[in-house]
Amino acid sequence: MSKNEPKILMLGWEFPPVINGGLGVACHDLCIALSKHAKVTMVIPKTYPEFTIENLNLIGLNTIDARTLRNISYRNDYKNLEEVHYVPSRLNPYYSDHHAVEHLPEIKSKYLTPVEMGDETAEVFTIDDLYGGDVIEKVTVFGKLTAKLALTLDFDIIHAHDWMTMAAGMEIKARTGKPLVMHIHSLEVDRGGEASKGWVYQMEKKGMEYADVLMPVSNFTANVIHQHYGIGKHKIFPVHNGIRPVKAYKGKKRFKEKVVLFVGRLTRQKGPEFFLEIASRVLEVRQDVRFVMAGTGDAFHRLLEKSSYKHIGNRFHLTGFLNLEKVHEMLSIADVYCMPSVSEPFGLSAVEAAQFGVPVVLSKQSGAAEVMKGSLTFDFWDINRASEYIIRLLDDDVLRDKVVADANKDLESISWDLSADKVMDGYRKYKLYME
Amino acid sequence: MPSICFYFQVHQPFRIKNYSFFDIGNDHFYEDDEKNRVVLNKVSEKCYLKTNQKMLSLIRKHKGKFRISYSLSGTVIEQLEIYRPDVLQSFVDLAETGCVEFLAETYYHSLSYIYSKEEFTRQVKMHAEKIQKYFKQKPKVFRNTELIFNNELASFIEKMGYKGILCEGVDRILNGRSPNHVYQPKGTSKIKALLKNYRLSDDIAFRFSDVNWTEFPLTADKYASWVHKIAGNGEVLNLFMDYETFGEHQWESTGIFDFLEHLPAEIMKHKDFNFLTPSEVIDKYPVRDTYDVKDFTSWADAERDLSAWLSNSMEQEAIQRIYSLEEKVLATGDADMISTWGKFQTSDHFYYMCTKFWSDGDVHKYFSPYDSPYDAYIYYMNAFSDFEASINDFKPKKVPAKKNSKKLVAAIEPVAPVKRKK
Repeated sequence: MSKNEPKILMLGWEFPPVINGGLGVACHDLCIALSKHAKVTMVIPKTYPEFTIENLNLIGLNTIDARTLRNISYRNDYKNLEEVHYVPSRLNPYYSDHHAVEHLPEIKSKYLTPVEMGDETAEVFTIDDLYGGDVIEKVTVFGKLTAKLALTLDFDIIHAHDWMTMAAGMEIKARTGKPLVMHIHSLEVDRGGEASKGWVYQMEKKGMEYADVLMPVSNFTANVIHQHYGIGKHKIFPVHNGIRPVKAYKGKKRFKEKVVLFVGRLTRQKGPEFFLEIASRVLEVRQDVRFVMAGTGDAFHRLLEKSSYKHIGNRFHLTGFLNLEKVHEMLSIADVYCMPSVSEPFGLSAVEAAQFGVPVVLSKQSGAAEVMKGSLTFDFWDINRASEYIIRLLDDDVLRDKVVADANKDLESISWDLSADKVMDGYRKYKLYME
Repeated sequence: MPSICFYFQVHQPFRIKNYSFFDIGNDHFYEDDEKNRVVLNKVSEKCYLKTNQKMLSLIRKHKGKFRISYSLSGTVIEQLEIYRPDVLQSFVDLAETGCVEFLAETYYHSLSYIYSKEEFTRQVKMHAEKIQKYFKQKPKVFRNTELIFNNELASFIEKMGYKGILCEGVDRILNGRSPNHVYQPKGTSKIKALLKNYRLSDDIAFRFSDVNWTEFPLTADKYASWVHKIAGNGEVLNLFMDYETFGEHQWESTGIFDFLEHLPAEIMKHKDFNFLTPSEVIDKYPVRDTYDVKDFTSWADAERDLSAWLSNSMEQEAIQRIYSLEEKVLATGDADMISTWGKFQTSDHFYYMCTKFWSDGDVHKYFSPYDSPYDAYIYYMNAFSDFEASINDFKPKKVPAKKNSKKLVAAIEPVAPVKRKK
């Protein structure tokens, strides 16, 4: 590469191998694609010694002494403190000296725990789970510590992902003056509804106002940012998500009924109750369909109770959480995929369904509808329309083949490489680094 | 001369395994074999064998004066046939003393009376045959699953030829009267009702080892002194409880077996008191009043109604689904299918789906093999979905008629012959 490669300081929260939802996978895959064009350093709350990625400088705050910023390597699982030993080392080739940070005040928090290492002790960022407990404190400490660490790193652009890393992004921008990009995968008004104006909303609003460029994962989310957060469109630059290639296959179904599938968290945002209503409507007309919801969430019990109340218990199935292999197995036997999301920034699962050749019926309130141009879309509340589409797809092979063929065409323009190209376009458009 | 009437419920369900959506169409066996075996073995060791031995020795020691009754569900007998013929034999030994009565119930410990009178009748008959086969007595007194009872049921049972029926002595229906008499269910002509004295029954079944109970520790002489108080204002004291009280719900370390050992003698220290089986009580004592139960009552939970099984939509959906198959299942004429359908009806499945929390929820949880009522529902409905498909797709096996009929008989009574101990 002849041009100057920008140096990106990415700030992430969810990251493999621990996967909570789509965010971790998206960050991971985007990082890898982007590292073909840029030098990427990714700071996340926790790394695992056995999990490394080529060409990516991955730093877990669980391996950084909060006081000295020295790197600590763990021989074995971090929990086993006797096994801990440290190797004072430079973090990466762009490491500058530590003197710049020595005057910064010490950070105190219950999420910084001392680790004994022979004669010395270190203090490291320790959180058992990403979203439990005092998440505001977690996010704040992550921000302070990352900002301190950032002073020792060399980079051109700060690229933060979602509200959990916004405090960090803002702090780093304030201290270094480097441009701040915020990648928006999901917003509080998506998750909690328009009335959600709590701490997270405030953080998002402040963060997005302070950022130089926003990269939402869809035009849909760009509009949400504009409408619900009052951010000017001039600095919003949508970058659609990519998708991992997958070995799709057709599975063998052991029962006669057709399968209509939903995969996702069972929570308001994903519209699980609309799926139930759709199921109920379709089952009024025909009994040869099973509606399957794969995933778990706060609506789980309510859905079971409602489905039994509607007397569709023998055709409406909740599988609970499924691992990737099982999700693929479900996709391999599904006849229709239905995504009734109420507010969906992207909706990776709909694209995954298309990869498996499953015709997709999805809500217009989703980013995926923008990239799956040939899919059948409905307003999430329009149960009649969704039910009609599903019945048509089950009966009408011509329509079905057309929808699948269109989706295959759409899939050609969905990849993480294309997303990374788009991110680079954004960096250049807003002149965030010297080319 | 007041009589003590002991009745012990012996029941184990065929628990359904964690049957996932992916099993539908793949796996036509729904039972958690391993769990059922482990639980039966555990209960056999901790309760059935020990308590049976204790009962047998008490009967011998008191030379026929200590008399008790049991109700064994068809499902527990099937499990004993498969896994623990030695335990089944110990019940046979008790039967042979002549001091033990075996009661009638639904074969599958089901709620069939509420959903299908035909199925209910089929199961009561099937159960009576099983009891006759092992214990050589024809049941004369009926107890419905978990003492579920109302006037209509009593009439129905009367018409089936039973002379007595067991039920819970529910305060709101007794309305100040004592449960310690023989009652006549309203609308019946001959059949008599024996009412459980839940206070004295639960003192043993639930409170025996409760250290927070003011009467703790409960000794046989203290308990006998309470029993003796009914002299003069009661004729029969009905102590009804789960048999697993002995050794399982109340562990051996609580002293429950010592309590049992001394109880008959302590009670009979008062010369007016004796022990009788339900049939003997019914023959001996006259009806003193009418017991009028319009809505169903039971012995379960604080409510003493059907809410332990039928209070939420999941339970309702599951049970309505299983009974909706009745016609189709019976039409197959296939013994395996009919038997599987019967096991799906066992009330425990619906009990596990109960979401009533608070203090009763704890009891449901204690007995449940699943993590939550929702899991119980999911596994049940997944298994049901597979079973429903099997029934809809059923094609009679093409085997010579003669062979087929033989198989049918064998499957209805899958009997491992009980070996006599020498």
